[in-house]
Amino acid sequence: MDNGRVSHQDGRSRQVSDAGVDDPGAHILHVDMDAFYVNVELLDRPELRGRPVIIGHDTGRSVVSSASYEARRFGVSSAMPVARALSLCPSAVVIPPRHERYAEESARVMRVFGQFTPLVEPLSIDEAFLDVAGARRLWGTPGTIARRVKTAVESETGLPCSVGAAGTKFVAKLASGLAKPSGVLLVPVDETLALLRPLPIRRLWGVGQRTAEQLESRAIRTVGDVAAAPVEVLSRIVGPAAAQKLSELARGIDPRPIQLSREEKSIGHETTFASDVADPAVVRRTVLGLADRVAARLRSAGLSAGGVAVKLRYGDFRTVSRSRVLVEPSDVAQRIADVARGLVDECWDSSQPVRLLGVRAERLDGAGSTMQLWNPDESWRDTESTMDELRSRFGASAISRASLLRPRSAE
Amino acid sequence: MRFSVNRDVFSDAVSFTVKLLPQRTTLPILSGVLLSTTESGLKLSSFDYEVSAQTEIDADVEEQGTVLVSGRLLAEIANRLPNAPVQFSTDDNKISVSCGPASFTLLSMPVEEYPTVPHVDGESGLVKAEDFSTAVSQVAVAASKDDVTPVITGVQLEVADNTLSLVATDRYRVAVRDIEWDNGAGSGEPISALIPARTIQEVGKTFGHSSTISVAFTNSDDRELIAFSADRKTVTSLLIKGTFPPVRRLFPSDVSNYAVMNTADVIDSVRRVSLVLEREAALRFSFTIDGLTMDAAGSENAQASETVDALLTGNDIVLSLKPQFLIDALNAVRSEFVRFSFTTSENSNKPGPVLITSQSSKDQPGADSFKYLLQPNLLLR
Repeated sequence: MDNGRVSHQDGRSRQVSDAGVDDPGAHILHVDMDAFYVNVELLDRPELRGRPVIIGHDTGRSVVSSASYEARRFGVSSAMPVARALSLCPSAVVIPPRHERYAEESARVMRVFGQFTPLVEPLSIDEAFLDVAGARRLWGTPGTIARRVKTAVESETGLPCSVGAAGTKFVAKLASGLAKPSGVLLVPVDETLALLRPLPIRRLWGVGQRTAEQLESRAIRTVGDVAAAPVEVLSRIVGPAAAQKLSELARGIDPRPIQLSREEKSIGHETTFASDVADPAVVRRTVLGLADRVAARLRSAGLSAGGVAVKLRYGDFRTVSRSRVLVEPSDVAQRIADVARGLVDECWDSSQPVRLLGVRAERLDGAGSTMQLWNPDESWRDTESTMDELRSRFGASAISRASLLRPRSAE
Repeated sequence: MRFSVNRDVFSDAVSFTVKLLPQRTTLPILSGVLLSTTESGLKLSSFDYEVSAQTEIDADVEEQGTVLVSGRLLAEIANRLPNAPVQFSTDDNKISVSCGPASFTLLSMPVEEYPTVPHVDGESGLVKAEDFSTAVSQVAVAASKDDVTPVITGVQLEVADNTLSLVATDRYRVAVRDIEWDNGAGSGEPISALIPARTIQEVGKTFGHSSTISVAFTNSDDRELIAFSADRKTVTSLLIKGTFPPVRRLFPSDVSNYAVMNTADVIDSVRRVSLVLEREAALRFSFTIDGLTMDAAGSENAQASETVDALLTGNDIVLSLKPQFLIDALNAVRSEFVRFSFTTSENSNKPGPVLITSQSSKDQPGADSFKYLLQPNLLLR
C-alpha cells in the first residue's frame, strides 16, 4: 500500500513505460495493489465506483486505512485521521475495514503471482516481489511478464495493480510507486541512476524523518546527492552501517534476494480510544477484546504465541511497551489476556489516561511443537474455537464475551 | 567436644547428609552439617527448611558437644582422608580433624542460629527398598522440570489397601507404577502425598541397597512432612501443596491395536536415527506387518531411516514421537520386550496417546505394573 512517502497519493506524478521498453536485467518485479482495501470493497459494492471512498471507522480519531483515488484528489491520504479526511472530502463514503475479506482477496492475488514464478516474496497483504529471471523461456522478457501479471491479476480478481520492474528490489518498489495507479514501469538497469538521482532522499529505504533532517541540514537533498557524497561523510551523519547501506541504495546497489516464505514474526491488534481512557476496568476489557482477536488469528494460522507484548500510548503520545515470554506457547485469548493485563499493570502509570492500547503475540511457533496429553487451557481453547466457528458462519458479531458487552451508545 | 570414629563410616555418613543440600543457598548457615554426640555415638544432620537428612553412627565419645561445619568442605575432606581412625575435637570455635598423618582445622558455624531439624515419630507403612528404588527410577523421569507449575514437579505417592502407587507427569507423558505396601505399625488409612522429584530420586538411590524402608507421614504446625528411614538414616521432605492432576483417567482400559518389539533394539535404533534430528524434533514411527520403521527427516542436510522387527496386532499405524520421551520409557520398562498400545482419539487434531508397558516375551505381558502414557505429536507430512 502506498504509505505516504509519495508527495501525491492521487497519481498526478504517474510515470509508466512504453510497451517497447524492456531489459532482461530488470527481472525483479514489485506488484502493488492499487488502493487495495477500497477496490476489494468496490468488488462487493460496485455502486460506489467513481465516488470518494474511505476505509476506516467513522469514530473521529480512527485513521484512514485506504482511500480511493477519487478521495485522494481532495487531499485525503492513508494514515490521516478520518475526521480530517471527512472535513477535506465531506462527500466521502466511510466503510469500516473487513480484514478477513481483504485476506481472502490477497490470497487470490498471490495465487496469480505463483502462476508466473515460484519465487514470490509477499511483503504485506497487498504487495509482493517476484523474481522472473527464470521465467523467460516460459513467459518472455521482464517487460512482457510485468504486463501479463498485471492483466492476469485484473482479469482473475477484478482488482487493479501497478507493477515496477528493475534490477533490484528497491528500484522495483520505487517504480511500482511511480507507476500508480494501474501502470507498469520498467527501469532498465542502465537508466537506474538517472531515475534515482533527482528523487528526494526520503524515498530511500531506511530514511525517516530524523535521518532526512540530518542529511538535509548538510545539503544532501536528493538521492543523487547521497550517491555523490563520500561514505565517510555519510558515516559521520548516520553512522557507518547505515551510511554504507544508503550509499549503495543511492547508487542502485541492493543485493537482497527474493525471500521465500517470510515467516510471520508477530500478530498484533491495537485500538485507539474515541477519548482517552483512565478507567482500569475499560483498559482490562479492551485488552481482553484485543487478545480475542489476536488469538483467533493465531488459531486460524495454526500458530501459537511464545511471547506476549503490550503497547500503551498516553494522550501526549508517549508510548511504552512491555513483553514477556510464555512458559508454554498459547493460542488462547484468556491466557494471552492474562499475561497482557499483567504487563499493562507493570507499565501503566494509571494517573495518565491511555489513548491507544495494543496486544501482540510474538515468538510465533507453528503447529508440530510437542503436544501435551492435556492442556490447562484446554477448556478455554474449546470455548474459543467454538466462538471461531460461530463467527465464521454467522459473522464477527454472532458471539462475544459477556464482559465485552457494552451499551451500544458507548462507541 | 571430642570423639573418634571409623573413617569409612564417617565418610559415608557425611556424604549422605550433604547430598540433599541445595547447591546454592541464600542462607549460608543452611550449607552446614550439624554434628552432635549422643549416648553411644554421633548424629549428623542437614536441613534447608524443605528437606532434611539425618543419620547416626557409632563413635567413641570422650566429650559431649554439638558443632556446625560447612557440609561440602567436610564431605570432600572425609572422602579423601587416609585409612585411619578419624579424631574430632573442638577448641572454642575451631574444629580440628586429624586422621593418620593428616590434620585439618575448620571454623565452626554458629549452632544457635541453625533451625531445628524435623523429627518424625511413628510409621505409616513399609516398602521393600529394592521395589521402591526401581519404581522411583521408572516414574520420576516423567516429572516436570519446570518450576512454574509446582504440582507436576513432584512424584505423587498414593497408598490404598496394600498398594503404593507412584505417579509423575509433565503433561507430555504420565508414568505410573504400583508396588506392595505393608501397613506395618500404621493405621492403614489411604494416604496421598506429593514429593519433589529430586528428593524422592535421591531417596531411591540412597536406600536402594537397604532391605525395607519405613515411611511416615506427619502433619504438624500445618507443615505436611514425609519421612523415609532405613539403616539408621532418615530423609524428611516437605510435601508440595496442591492437587495433583487426575491423570489416571487418561489411561485407556483396553487396547486391541498394539505392537511388541525387542526393547534394546528399539533403543539402539532410536538413538542412531535421532543423530540427524534437530533438537526438540520428533521421529516418525511406522508400524506395519513388516516391522517398525523409524524415519528422521529433520533437516535438509541429513536423513536417516531404520527398521526393527515388530509383532503388530491390529492396524498399521504411523506416529510422531519425541525421541527422548520414548527413550525414557524404554529405559524404564526394564524388560526384554516392550509393548506399544495405540489408542484412538476423538479429536482429529490430536492423535491418541501411546501406552508403553513391559513385556517379558514376544507374547507374554510383563509382570510389573509399570505404565507410561505418551502423547504423540501431529504428523507434519
